[in-house]
Amino acid sequence: MNTSDKTILQVQDISKTYATVRAVDDLSFEVYAGEIFGLLGPNGAGKTTTIRMALDIIKPDAGQIAVLGGPMTEAKKERIGYLPEERGLYDDMTLTDTLLFLGQLKGLSRTEAQRRVEGQLKEVELWEARERKVEALSRGMRQKAQFVAATMHDPDLIIVDEPFSGLDPVNTRLIKDLIYRMRDRGAGVIMSTHQMHQVEEMCGRILLVNHGKRVLYGPLAEIRQRFSANVVEVGLRGEPVTVPGVEQITAVENGSYRLLLEEGVPPEEVLQALVHAPELVVERFEHVETSLDEIFIRVVGRSIEEEGSLEEDQAVPAGGVRI
Amino acid sequence: MKKTWLIARTTYRERLRSGMFLILTFGIPLLMIGAGVIGFLAASPDDGELPETIGYVDETGELAPTERVTLSEELLDLDAELTFTSYPTREAAEAAYLNGEIGGYLVIPAGYFSGAAVTYFTDAEAGAVVEEGLKQFLQRSLLPDRPEWVFARLEDPANYTYVGQASGEALSEGPGLIIRIAAPAFLAMVFVLAVLFGTSQMGTAIIQEKEQRAMEMVITSIRPLELVAGKVMGLTLLSLTQFAIWTVGGIVALFLAFSDQLSLEELVVPWEALIWGALLIIPGYFLYAILAAGLGIIAGDSQQAQQLAGIMSFLGLAPIYILAAILGNPDGPLSVGLSLFPLTSPSVILLRTTFAGVPTWQMVAALAILLATLALAVLLVTRIFRAAMLNYGKALRPREIWRAIVQA
Repeated sequence: MNTSDKTILQVQDISKTYATVRAVDDLSFEVYAGEIFGLLGPNGAGKTTTIRMALDIIKPDAGQIAVLGGPMTEAKKERIGYLPEERGLYDDMTLTDTLLFLGQLKGLSRTEAQRRVEGQLKEVELWEARERKVEALSRGMRQKAQFVAATMHDPDLIIVDEPFSGLDPVNTRLIKDLIYRMRDRGAGVIMSTHQMHQVEEMCGRILLVNHGKRVLYGPLAEIRQRFSANVVEVGLRGEPVTVPGVEQITAVENGSYRLLLEEGVPPEEVLQALVHAPELVVERFEHVETSLDEIFIRVVGRSIEEEGSLEEDQAVPAGGVRI
Repeated sequence: MKKTWLIARTTYRERLRSGMFLILTFGIPLLMIGAGVIGFLAASPDDGELPETIGYVDETGELAPTERVTLSEELLDLDAELTFTSYPTREAAEAAYLNGEIGGYLVIPAGYFSGAAVTYFTDAEAGAVVEEGLKQFLQRSLLPDRPEWVFARLEDPANYTYVGQASGEALSEGPGLIIRIAAPAFLAMVFVLAVLFGTSQMGTAIIQEKEQRAMEMVITSIRPLELVAGKVMGLTLLSLTQFAIWTVGGIVALFLAFSDQLSLEELVVPWEALIWGALLIIPGYFLYAILAAGLGIIAGDSQQAQQLAGIMSFLGLAPIYILAAILGNPDGPLSVGLSLFPLTSPSVILLRTTFAGVPTWQMVAALAILLATLALAVLLVTRIFRAAMLNYGKALRPREIWRAIVQA
């Protein structure tokens, strides 16, 4: 595999099957140093399996993974941070002891781990709770503690799975700033989340997987632009029922509608159709940028529809004939 | 290795701090001592009330025709003498008793020599002191005019010295001999207890790692084998601490109990048996610990892990259940078979060495089988571990276990 200096994770044609379920299907992508990369997909799409393969927790059935310039080694594990979706720390241990233990597992000396634990606990406002047992911490406190555990060793690649779940807006801002800081010092951050507005705000590039397959991949701005090309928002007097060249009409607010154009239909053609419709008066007609939320629903929804139609196609009754 | 040691240290420290360690280490011996004391108190008869005079009726006509026998204070080890007075008939003895002349009366029936029971009539409490007095009286009545040393020998007929025919090793009776026999038996018991507590703790430690969801973070830093090895080392150190406390306590108790009889020269340490015991116990314990870790990772929750550990502990305890069969025929096929079976070989070989020699080939074969099984267990458990470690809340099914073993 050829990896550029900037590439810290290169995944090439990996697949993984559990019994009869193909969790990851011929998936390829790259993550670069100094970026926040969004790993998106509906529940059960294969995101966690992909992350676990990247971390060498499980082996792919096929394909190759290069981490920090080559195959995973024990030394490289110390340059990786991971905040798993399944949150967990040692309930019976104090917060400090837990973090010291996890920091030393990542190769820090005890003295260095102590220094960093103190600094980071103060930063995330957990210093006062340092001698408390983990089981006595609130959900938000545990979440922050686990974030510290995943990042205290200054990893070059950090994978965070739903980093903001259970956090209030203040703590969300705190963690977000820490992620930006890691990116700014040159670390590559893979962020898996269902909070699309966070992805829009933070990620430069994204990968959307569904049923283990790559559905969307690339710079977020380009993807949004591509999906925005056939979406217009119009201000109308009157209610549009059907418009030639329009696939879907969604009422946004009073007198405002979002139109999804059929593929290949230029917006000017739709404007003309609206202007010439006798019962409608066009007050406003503008291009809008599609939100990632909409893109997600459209892409994943289409994929589900396709799957449904495929299943229907395949469901030929015995002795029946498909026309 | 550094990370394995870190896991071991952390496991040891956290378990040592837990209340469960204190309960197991100090609570169990206290419970055993308490049970022993209660048992002793329940079993030991009341000393009873010793009368000054006891009447007796000899219906055999064969006992020495003594009208009065007085047992001295020294003989009874009491601050009082005891006098026995002869009566010709039960009625005479009964009348004397009712007049308050005697504290009770003994009727020695005609069939005494063929086993008929002697009857002691009294309304006072008859305890061990009275019984001892009756015994001394009967012995002296059966063997009249004999010097006291005869009765001393009757009480304790001989001091034995045991000499090994082949080794020529001479062992005097008493604490020295007890230690010769007890040391391997003690080691066997240590092994069984270590298995009992160790497997349970190991399974729990692993399932907790899984239940608390800490596993996924930890295994991005170390290999599964390092995690298991660290846990095994930590818990082994914990068991060693526990047994060191028990052993020191046991030795102190032994010296206190036998301080007047035990001299260091008399101590006969069975080095060969102990060295072989150590050689078998160490890999034997690790085998149980690795298997317990495997069962812990397969289990879906703590309860299931405990149940599976219980099955393992049963195997460890099996030699104790069939101790009589092993010691009854230490060279029989059952004993030899269990001596070679890796899960029972350490305890069975140690138990056999207490009473009989175990051929060297059997010990060498047992050690070789044990080491091979341990290596195989490490390999299999590591493979299963990878497949099961993130299987939260679900036990691994047999088919999944098989797939993990063959696909890894």
